[in-house]
Amino acid sequence: MKINTYILILLLSLNSFFAVAQEQKMSESEITSFKQSVNAVAKKITTITTDFVQYKHMDFLAKDIETSGKMYFKEPNSLKWQYKKPYNYSIVFKNGKILIDDEGKKSSHDIGNSKIFGKINKLIVGSVSGNMFDDKEFTISFFKTKTNNITRLIPKDAALKKYIKQIELTFDNDDFTVIQVKLIESSDDYTRIVLKNKTLNAKIDDSVFTN
Amino acid sequence: MQKSTIPFLLTSCLALVLVSCSPVNLVQDYKTAPVEKPVFQNTYFANPEIDYVYKANISVYGNELTGIFVAKKINETTHRVVFTTEFGNKLLDFEISDTEFKINSIVDELNRKILINTLKDDFRLLLKKDFMVTEKYSKGTDEVVKSKDGKYFDYLFVSTTDHKLYKIAQVTKTKEKLSMSFTSENNIFADKIVIQHYNLKLRIEFNYFKQN
Repeated sequence: MKINTYILILLLSLNSFFAVAQEQKMSESEITSFKQSVNAVAKKITTITTDFVQYKHMDFLAKDIETSGKMYFKEPNSLKWQYKKPYNYSIVFKNGKILIDDEGKKSSHDIGNSKIFGKINKLIVGSVSGNMFDDKEFTISFFKTKTNNITRLIPKDAALKKYIKQIELTFDNDDFTVIQVKLIESSDDYTRIVLKNKTLNAKIDDSVFTN
Repeated sequence: MQKSTIPFLLTSCLALVLVSCSPVNLVQDYKTAPVEKPVFQNTYFANPEIDYVYKANISVYGNELTGIFVAKKINETTHRVVFTTEFGNKLLDFEISDTEFKINSIVDELNRKILINTLKDDFRLLLKKDFMVTEKYSKGTDEVVKSKDGKYFDYLFVSTTDHKLYKIAQVTKTKEKLSMSFTSENNIFADKIVIQHYNLKLRIEFNYFKQN
């Protein structure tokens, strides 16, 4: 009898936990106010420096593949992803070029050669700065939980859609910046990138983006 | 002058023909040894409990392609093989067994028959566990088992001091097609694998991913 009561209490508390974590669709007025807040913050962003942890989830694997490092963004469109664990690999997107440093082995490519890469680049920059509420490119829906706001973007471009079924951006409720990016593939496997220890508008030297 | 040039040319051509047609002999200095076990097992990708995750560097005709290579044994006969970019975008996703091959997905840029067939053959050899031994050779602490593999022969080089497979050479009767070298610290999986092709300008390097 006593055990049953405990189970009941446990179930009830779990239930209330899920109720808290459950998300709700935003109302029209909430969407307008959320967009305004995000855009206001994005407008003020000149630089972002943040740590990131990337989890690649594939259903057939026992464990997600975890990589981590630092990300730098500087207005208008310089972006660097620097993986430090478990390997050193960095990729810079700058002025239509991609610069790669793979454990000291350097190479550069034109983004222009790859339309899809250009789109993915725009998407990454937009995801990080939160500036991607583009109705022409995406079908967007807005949700809220007690702690976060979540935006789901479905690409309209057929070429992009082939690779990415949906992008899910999670925003911090306090400062309206992106704290998690989830790129979901058509197979439902996904890449989840968690951004933490973020610093906004600190000076970043241009040499960071030279690779 | 002309008289002396012609025999020289003929000799050179003949020499060239003889050299290029001479049989491949990877075990020239080795002694023939008795075949004790009919099957040799390569267990570097054999454990279904392990996610085999590697950083991959592929060099093909001067182009460099890097990313993450994943292999996992999904049932008794089949491995799932996925190659992604560092960001995690899947570039290719195959299922391979000794006899079956299925493409789950591949990006347009890599969707070329010759590339798919080459990778299919390479991965099939890499993931193959059981090799039927036809001949065996030895030299000092080295043992080599020879196995027939369709139109090819596989030579598997094993160090007898630590019982580690350190190289597979795949040859036809006259040409060396490729070599796969393995570095393994624990003998459970390979820390580093290099696949070097000799008939194509293709080199694939895998380095085991030490996750937290």
